[in-house]
Amino acid sequence: MAKRTVLAASIGIILAYCAVALLAPVIAPYDPHAITGAPLCPPDPEHLLGTNDLAQDIFSRLIWGTRATLLLGFIGAAVTVVIGTAVGIVSGYYGGMVDEAVMRLIDVAMTIPIFPLLLILTTFFRPGIYITAVLMGLLGSFQGVRVIRSQVLSLAVADFVTGTKALGAGDGYIMARHILPNVLPLAGVKFVISAQHFMLIGIGLGFLGIGDPSVVDWGQMINRASQNGAMILGLWWWLIPPGLAVTLISLALAWLGYACEDEINPRLRLMRV
Amino acid sequence: MNGVYIIKRLFTSVAAFCISVTIMFILLRLMPGDYITMYLETIYRYAPPDVVEAFNHVYGLDRPILEQYVLYLLDAFRGNWGYSLIYKVPVLTVIGEKLVWTMVILVPATALATLAGIGIGAYSGWKRGSKTDIALLNGMIFIRAIPSYWLALMILIIFAYYLNLFPLGGYVDTGALITGIDPLDVANHAVLPILTLFLFSVTGTYYLMRSSMLMTAGEDYIVTARAKGLDELTILRKHALKNAMLPMVTMITLECAGMITGSIFVETIFSWPGLGMLTYKALAVRDLPLLQGILLVDTLLVIAANIAADLIYPLVDPRVQVGDNG
Repeated sequence: MAKRTVLAASIGIILAYCAVALLAPVIAPYDPHAITGAPLCPPDPEHLLGTNDLAQDIFSRLIWGTRATLLLGFIGAAVTVVIGTAVGIVSGYYGGMVDEAVMRLIDVAMTIPIFPLLLILTTFFRPGIYITAVLMGLLGSFQGVRVIRSQVLSLAVADFVTGTKALGAGDGYIMARHILPNVLPLAGVKFVISAQHFMLIGIGLGFLGIGDPSVVDWGQMINRASQNGAMILGLWWWLIPPGLAVTLISLALAWLGYACEDEINPRLRLMRV
Repeated sequence: MNGVYIIKRLFTSVAAFCISVTIMFILLRLMPGDYITMYLETIYRYAPPDVVEAFNHVYGLDRPILEQYVLYLLDAFRGNWGYSLIYKVPVLTVIGEKLVWTMVILVPATALATLAGIGIGAYSGWKRGSKTDIALLNGMIFIRAIPSYWLALMILIIFAYYLNLFPLGGYVDTGALITGIDPLDVANHAVLPILTLFLFSVTGTYYLMRSSMLMTAGEDYIVTARAKGLDELTILRKHALKNAMLPMVTMITLECAGMITGSIFVETIFSWPGLGMLTYKALAVRDLPLLQGILLVDTLLVIAANIAADLIYPLVDPRVQVGDNG
């Protein structure tokens, strides 16, 4: 069915982006920061996407920008999923006071708007790209805790867990060997969805002009292009490619996330009554 | 609503507000440089020591840190949020002025998106697996994946720049300087920002409503209704829709935080003079007092959305009293 094709295409796109990010020094014709000719050149064989106002090669910057995007998305998602899974399992497994305390804390934390807070933190501490990714992961982990915890709640009273307990297994052992494998699929879906989310947010920071200036990222490229009149001057090769690049990877991850969610939640699966 | 629940909600709200304030207090102290270096950016170096001392005294910076914190917290509750560094007026005044303009685009966009999302989502979920459903679902996933800033930029380029249907930005024509603000003119400027926010929000509501409808459509009472011989439209309207809508109410909170994020990008791109563009400007010049005010207002907006959800819930579902656990 067409669904399989779309899934294969999504995975293909994600892998292609990873390859481009890894091979950036080989693929990119120029150093992304180097001055390579006249500024604001239209596309030609020398510069596939022309040059920007600083005479940097836009194609090379686009290639290098893949790295920042994937780093922001995947590191942020990894942090979110690890915290969400660990806290979610402990909270759901022990229940009682521990669970109550964690849940109230999350109620409060979720009332604070994450994005404005992230904006303030990045503006004043000017963190590098890695810290920014970790920060996003930390601030975004609350919802993940909830999702994992609600799954663990039913697992914690399942017969196989009670049985293992009766055999004398310790709590740590049960959580690591019996609960964790059962929430891994859910954590996997959360990883894909978070990666997409954090890529968009990370590039959004660059777009608002508060990205890490030492790295090339698509958000800063879009920002620079729109701030310097690329739209009015009709320089589409400056403004459009970075936006299309973000949209494509975002779509691929969204499709993958949707397909996975569909797979592990049979009630959502399309069926005719 | 029972007492315990109200107290819980009140506690969560106040705690969230206090944490926002506390974060800002800690940030102020962690920042490189003193408050005065931020206030008198270029000339603080030349300030005589007694001026610095007087400055610190006026702002209470010579008091013990705990006392400073308590005062800071109290002032936050009293609405004394300090002065904006760029506008040189109380933060609350600036924010109040801009908040109105944000509401001009946020309220219609959210209302339309909620109605459309629920309507289309319900239809899609009801007709699950049909060609229409698949097409709608794919279309919505596609729109959702487009970053809001990119969507706004494309809408601006296509509708304002190439098709020239709407103004490129701002909220009134320059003619307003002479004739005064014309509501029709404002509406004309508001169309594209509202459209972008609408597209940004409708996909989320749609997706949730569709999932909720898929769950509801499999319930026994729907099968019973069908067995009674009721026609599809009656089942949908009287049985499925009402039940499928319940989970939507609790989503208002998350949606609200998302709309705040969306409005920062949308207002910046369309030069709409609301809270979002104010955030962008404050970021550009690192106006910390203004930024902390914005964070507090955003927190208050989310709290208000929470309370609104609590109030709406009993209206949608008269069976349960919110928080009534028995």
